[in-house]
Amino acid sequence: MTIVIFGGNGDLAHRKLLPALYNLHVDGLLPPRLAIVGVGRKEMSDDAYRAFAKEGIGKFSRRPLDEQAWGAFSKLLFFVNASIDGEKGLAPLGARLDIIEHEGGMKSDRIYYLAVPPTLFAPTVQQLARSRFVARESAAAADAPIARIIVEKPIGRDLESARAINDAIAEVFDERQIYRIDHYLGKETVQNILVMRFANSIFEPLFNQKYVDHVQITVAEEEGVGTRAGYYEQAGALRDMIQNHLLQLLAMVALEPPHALDADVIRDEKLQVLQSLRPIAGDAVDANVIRGSYGPGFIAGKPVSGYRQEQGVDPGSRVETFVALQIFIDNWRWAGVPFFLRTGKRLPKRASEISVQLKEVPPILFNARPDARLDPNVLSIRIQPDEGFSFGISSKLPGPDVRPYPVKMDFHYGSTFGATTPEAYERLLLDVMHGDATLFMRRDAVEAAWRWVMPILERWSQQNGALPAYPAGDWGPAEADRLIEATGRRWRPL
Amino acid sequence: MAAAVAERLFRTSSAENIDADLAALWRELGRREVPIARAVMSNLVVFRDRVAAPDVSVEALMAELPIDEVIARHPSRLIVLEHESGREEPDAPFASGVGIATFGPESARYGVEQIVVRSACAEASLPSIVRRLARGDLPTSVWWTEDVAAVPPLESLVTMGRQLVYDSRDWRDVRAALGVLAPFVEEHRVDLADVNWRRLGPLRRALEHSATETGKPLAAAGARVRIAHHRDEASLAWLLAGALMAAAKRAPAAAPHVEAAETGDAAVIVTIENGAERATITLTSAGATVERARAGSPLVVAMPVESEGEAVAAELRLLSQDTDLHAALAALVRLFAARTS
Repeated sequence: MTIVIFGGNGDLAHRKLLPALYNLHVDGLLPPRLAIVGVGRKEMSDDAYRAFAKEGIGKFSRRPLDEQAWGAFSKLLFFVNASIDGEKGLAPLGARLDIIEHEGGMKSDRIYYLAVPPTLFAPTVQQLARSRFVARESAAAADAPIARIIVEKPIGRDLESARAINDAIAEVFDERQIYRIDHYLGKETVQNILVMRFANSIFEPLFNQKYVDHVQITVAEEEGVGTRAGYYEQAGALRDMIQNHLLQLLAMVALEPPHALDADVIRDEKLQVLQSLRPIAGDAVDANVIRGSYGPGFIAGKPVSGYRQEQGVDPGSRVETFVALQIFIDNWRWAGVPFFLRTGKRLPKRASEISVQLKEVPPILFNARPDARLDPNVLSIRIQPDEGFSFGISSKLPGPDVRPYPVKMDFHYGSTFGATTPEAYERLLLDVMHGDATLFMRRDAVEAAWRWVMPILERWSQQNGALPAYPAGDWGPAEADRLIEATGRRWRPL
Repeated sequence: MAAAVAERLFRTSSAENIDADLAALWRELGRREVPIARAVMSNLVVFRDRVAAPDVSVEALMAELPIDEVIARHPSRLIVLEHESGREEPDAPFASGVGIATFGPESARYGVEQIVVRSACAEASLPSIVRRLARGDLPTSVWWTEDVAAVPPLESLVTMGRQLVYDSRDWRDVRAALGVLAPFVEEHRVDLADVNWRRLGPLRRALEHSATETGKPLAAAGARVRIAHHRDEASLAWLLAGALMAAAKRAPAAAPHVEAAETGDAAVIVTIENGAERATITLTSAGATVERARAGSPLVVAMPVESEGEAVAAELRLLSQDTDLHAALAALVRLFAARTS
């Protein structure tokens, strides 16, 4: 098998893909006959590419670089200078792949990873077709070589452009050959949502409108826009995070029990959730969606600048770096249960969590004092960091009085299972090699998410007032607090 | 009684790597033959304002405060903020350390996380340190180890938690300290917990018992009350005065008379005259003794044997407002405001 990484000498390959492949190699999980071929416009020898990979693995791998393991892994790495411009742009790649696969005794099973900007998705796929790299799986013989393609989010910047990208890819690949990565879905704790819900008898009976008061999903980033200002100025938090990561997490929490652990069965159920989201349009956008932009502030005691002062950002930018929403899922299970989502940059810490807050016990017995209400039971799923989950309950404090105190049943991956948790990309790359699309987004789900997000974007496009500001290092603008407090609830501090 | 630490792991860290370093320590502990549970009931933010050695020394910290005792009894994610407000050039956090202390027998061993951050950054930035380090899904208490009059609690820091724990025995100027606490008292911004207040417990219980015996409160509104205190116990005496004012709904003009005096072993001696009834209540480290002129044997309520660490741990477990303390403080705030005007 050959993994061809377009953008092979780019940031994603450097920080994520090559370290992930290295860790799979160390774990002995890579197939025995494998080549990894980076493709880029830049002239680079195989040796230079190996040095590039070694540096990335040294910096970003979850495991320290082991020279012996590296020695074997480095032999799998190659680089081809090729361009998608012109009719024969990929000819050097084809010739080199033939040699590598022949010398390695490999079939021409190939995975094409598009680690390039979305504007290059369609041209790259068209070049692959033009150069006869790809055979449609539906039209190929049973023993024909495998051809799969991996694309990174963002899949478009609106419904129309998402459809255009999907159409372009669909002209060359069957849907079952396409793997749209949302790396959040590769995280252990996200995969554990299904296990937790459907492998334990305690939780699933509670996951409905009868027992759940509300659900909060927070994806907080401590970092600012950094070097991604160019992209971020075109995207903003709603496109960058809500449309994909947070809606995918919501779908995982809210889906109905799938009848099988089959990729399409699970993805069907997720799609059902996305299709059940109550549309937010017109005035309802203003009432249910809050956006904000970070100003100067402090992160962990250090002063940091505001978004509009960041390099590459328009000083008059109206791009949101924070979004909070109140969402309802109009189906039988979740009718009337609000889902509060929030994400933002320059929040106090990097933390992602799903919390399911159960309804309060009646205000009698232990919950009778208005000035000492019991903490409600909360199931919180920590996606990162310190992956795990906990369940908050009340327990009697030791002593002569009967006084409840909030305690937690707490599970931590790190201290329970010992070893470091695999990175999301490791799992996802492995799944593509195995042909398992469960953790990848299907076209209909991507477009359903865009369809739901579009009225919000349209409403915002009609507005030109100043965005609410929040100081860097704070949990978002005051308007976000008011959004949830108006319902008698509060954001859960992380 | 000092808590026995079974094992302590500690390493220097940096602000960026605190959680990663803690995770590494947990993994290290996970390799022990003895299973160790992660114990955490709350976040405990310990604030200290001082200029100390440039590195983070857990041994020095543990020697100065009964932290092991506190976290052994009330396992908390401990976040010690050592703030150097006196430095001429404010700087971001410049030293950090993380550790895990384990307690308990092998059959029930538990570990508690400890984080020490030393900074000299702008006070406005301190909440950002706590926000980053505290676990939001737990109650947060702030233990202010300084005299609140000398180093006033930072509102933005304190109100991040549910509870502000302090020890009024540290107060050198009661009036000034109450002036600092007044906004917290008047606006109920946070639950106040005074470790010193616990020492009044036997005396307050003695007054309740006496009231049961006599059928009316000894220190009723019309009674003349004098509180003599040891020279180091002014804050305790004033707390008592506030408690008596609140209980009897006394106006500031009818406040008990409080004065420093030679009290021997006693922390405070209260004399009460209410018509023909005369009583003296003495509070020592052994307890409270009520002697009434008309009664036979004195009424004695023993002082619980409790170390400072145990007292702090006990306060941390109170997650609701101590209404009696709050009422006493409110009465004192009104009293000093009236005397000022």
